Amino acid sequence: MNLTIDAKSPLPVYQQVIQAIKLDILSGGLRDGDLLPSIRDLAKLLKLNPNTVAKAYYALEAEGFSENRSGSGSRVKVPPGRQDSLRKAMLESEFRNFLEKAVSLGFSLEDVKQLTERIKKNEPSHR
Amino acid sequence: MSQAIVETRNLSLGFSRKKVIQDLSVVFAKGEWAVIAGRNGVGKSTLLRCLAGVLLPDAGTIIWAGEAGPNKIGFISDRLSLFEDWTVERAIAFHCRVFAVPEFDDRLLKRLNLSQKDKIKSLSAGERAILHLSLVLSQKPSLLLIDEVMHMLDPYLRDLFIEALIEIMAASQATVLTVNHTFSEIERIPERVLVMDRGRFAIDETTEALRQKMKKIVSRDPLPADLPCIFKKTDGIYKEYYIYPFREGLRTDRAVDFQDIALPEIIKAFIGGGYEQKRMA
Repeated sequence: MNLTIDAKSPLPVYQQVIQAIKLDILSGGLRDGDLLPSIRDLAKLLKLNPNTVAKAYYALEAEGFSENRSGSGSRVKVPPGRQDSLRKAMLESEFRNFLEKAVSLGFSLEDVKQLTERIKKNEPSHR
Repeated sequence: MSQAIVETRNLSLGFSRKKVIQDLSVVFAKGEWAVIAGRNGVGKSTLLRCLAGVLLPDAGTIIWAGEAGPNKIGFISDRLSLFEDWTVERAIAFHCRVFAVPEFDDRLLKRLNLSQKDKIKSLSAGERAILHLSLVLSQKPSLLLIDEVMHMLDPYLRDLFIEALIEIMAASQATVLTVNHTFSEIERIPERVLVMDRGRFAIDETTEALRQKMKKIVSRDPLPADLPCIFKKTDGIYKEYYIYPFREGLRTDRAVDFQDIALPEIIKAFIGGGYEQKRMA
């Protein structure tokens, strides 16, 4: 599993854990039936409060991304049929963050569009 | 709030004429990690000693939950005092006898490069801190009180220390209270921050709430008068203003950039750190 937590991010840590695990599931890193690390192991690995990890795990379970069979830990569940819409939602949220940043730097949506075209054509963006 | 592990009611304590703790009431919950911050001499260590049961208050009461009996409170004082001429082995045997520990847990000590035959006086400050942690963890504590000791540790020992605390929280829902830690490695661990000032808590917030409510403005210009500034620091031509309490409504139609502040920076401001305090929290 490949998770990173950004201590500087304004997003609460448990939400970052949820996002990171979802991303790993949607990108195929975590597959249906895979065992998630125990709360204790993940807390130690990421230097997080075990309560934070537990909160994230409960939320993932509530959203149907994992299943907890008593005693055997949490297993990944890939929600059937929802993968495409979830991937789109994730792209949209990442893109929204990017656009907000671009606008705060004084760029217009037209600038972003032009930049996208230039990157597509592999042209240098500025001299 | 979930189940309390320890609670103080109207606690007061002074040394000679100086009041150190004044009418302080606070509840700590089972399984939480809280950081107690504040300048030197505001009463943090004194409060920990009271919670550990080694200092009696002049007035007020302390109520421990049944599971936080005297042998189940792990207290690490900033003095890290042990008899200097004893060996590590003897210190362990002594501690286990006093706190009725059936078996010493040597897993942490094994990660250090030392022998149980070594004298206490030959240990480095970091090794002493880890030894103390091993001793109190062997008590299987339900309440851990840790004074300013983490700054004595090198990055490797600090990781050991932190992982051991995470381990006991996950394993047995222990409550952890630490004083003044400002390390970026663990800035996202404590879920609650209490700032002590003149014997009481000026701030008591969840970490997330404090991060939401405290923002920074870096500017060359004077601050608009309506913004609630709590700290100010001058750095060359720039001034840093800490805004507290911040609310989203303050953001509207200003050319002002409210920046997030990491927890170590927030704590640093409260414990001094070159900031001028503009008003009380």
